[in-house]
Amino acid sequence: MTKKTNAHEASFRDPSGYIFHDNGTLRRAIKPVYFPQYKKLTESGFFQNLIQNGLLIPHEETSNSPEEIVITPEKIPFITNPYEWSFEQYRHAALHTLKIQKYALSKGFILKDASAYNVTFHKGKPIFIDTLSFDFYEEGTPWRAYKQFITHFFGPLVLAKYHGTEIFKMMQTYIDGIPVKLISSLLPTRTKLSSTLYPNIHLLAKMESKHSEDYKAETKIATLSKKAQENILQSLFEYIKDLKLKETSEWGDYYNKTNYNETAFEAKKELIKKWIKPLNPQKLIDVGGNDGTFGRTVIDSVPHIMVTDIDSNAVDHNYRQVQQNKEENMLPFVCDVLQPAPSVGFNNTERNSLIERLKEYSPDVTMALALIHHITLSGNVPFEKSAAFFASFSKNLIIELPTRDDSWVESLLVRKREFINHFDFYNEIEFEKGYSTYFDLEKKEAVMGTKRILYLYKRK
Amino acid sequence: MNFLYFDPGLGAMIVQAVVAGAAGVLLFSKGVMYKVKSFFGLTKEKEDTYDSIDIEEQDTDDKKN
Repeated sequence: MTKKTNAHEASFRDPSGYIFHDNGTLRRAIKPVYFPQYKKLTESGFFQNLIQNGLLIPHEETSNSPEEIVITPEKIPFITNPYEWSFEQYRHAALHTLKIQKYALSKGFILKDASAYNVTFHKGKPIFIDTLSFDFYEEGTPWRAYKQFITHFFGPLVLAKYHGTEIFKMMQTYIDGIPVKLISSLLPTRTKLSSTLYPNIHLLAKMESKHSEDYKAETKIATLSKKAQENILQSLFEYIKDLKLKETSEWGDYYNKTNYNETAFEAKKELIKKWIKPLNPQKLIDVGGNDGTFGRTVIDSVPHIMVTDIDSNAVDHNYRQVQQNKEENMLPFVCDVLQPAPSVGFNNTERNSLIERLKEYSPDVTMALALIHHITLSGNVPFEKSAAFFASFSKNLIIELPTRDDSWVESLLVRKREFINHFDFYNEIEFEKGYSTYFDLEKKEAVMGTKRILYLYKRK
Repeated sequence: MNFLYFDPGLGAMIVQAVVAGAAGVLLFSKGVMYKVKSFFGLTKEKEDTYDSIDIEEQDTDDKKN
């Protein structure tokens, strides 16, 4: 029973099957209770069509016995979670889920759950990853995953519209979605006049508290025609499709207000390209990489690139470029280096922390350009500590140090006011000392036309 | 159903009738508005990978042959 011990920590709720690690390969076991569904979904061409339309992760059946069927899904290099998505990503994931449910319904199936964790981003697009989420549709039954869709997708998106994308971080606390009552109370009163928000959120919240004391499950559940359910899906789809975010960006237009000119900008790009080439990386991460400008300098030669930024708008901008250029090897996501996503869920093991996932991903090259002054000066993190952070998952580190003469650094230092002397350690010598604890210096070069130095480090 | 492994929320199951009613009215009126607008040439096409809830079907039929 080695399989059982390797079962994935997030895979215990659904009785249909479970995911397990088989020597580094992720596989999915299906139990006999789900055989009828699995056979119908396969034989009717349902799976095939979803896969061909790029909606569901492709899988292969690798073993078949009366006790267990095992399928092996296509490998996804890195799983991002809902609290790491930008607004556009979140919106697309929601629309993706509705699209699948609508199609399933037309073929006599339903999505039996609508968890946001059933979707992740792969090859530049959202993809549905829980192959066993489908069940037979029973005529006249309402969509049992409706509430989950509201708490996992619709609620967070609508709240983000009014309060900004920071709202998505609430998903770290509420692993089964933001409670409807809370969504309702956080929305402005005027949303009660909306013909979509009132029934889907406010009325839902009311009904949920009204029926919360039905301990014996005695109340009869009303029937709902297929057409009525399609109307719900269609109207949610239309509403989410038109959802827009009004939020100003701190960094979104960063490159338009850089403190160095275009020649210097190009020089930096060239230098990075030159350094990365001989390393021949298969996987690269650009931490604090804004909209992916520098990550894109090597997009033709690196098979998988991840670009993170604290600013959801920058990630959005990156994601739009991914869509426009149809880039399959670029994965943008939101990450605050000073507070990376923690492990959450039951036993703290359902969703892995960012560091755990990064260690497993194990990038060949990590880039941290124009980031260290924010970590050190805004976050008050000593050089040795940030070096330890990068060393925990990086083999090669390309890191840029803006010196004290850099106007951004000057500004950050001036803002320290009477504490400015506490940051005297922010200099070349102290930086190199801190990083030498974990890394060997390979290359060092001043970026032409700037007050910045670029370093290439190799982990000890 | 075999797979009631999480509580779908009773209120949520009941409310869907109302939600569907509201959605029906909304979609109908949107449809009317669209027709009126397109009659006057006021509609514009937006570009988005997610502009329609419906997915293409042709592949399913191919497979059956």
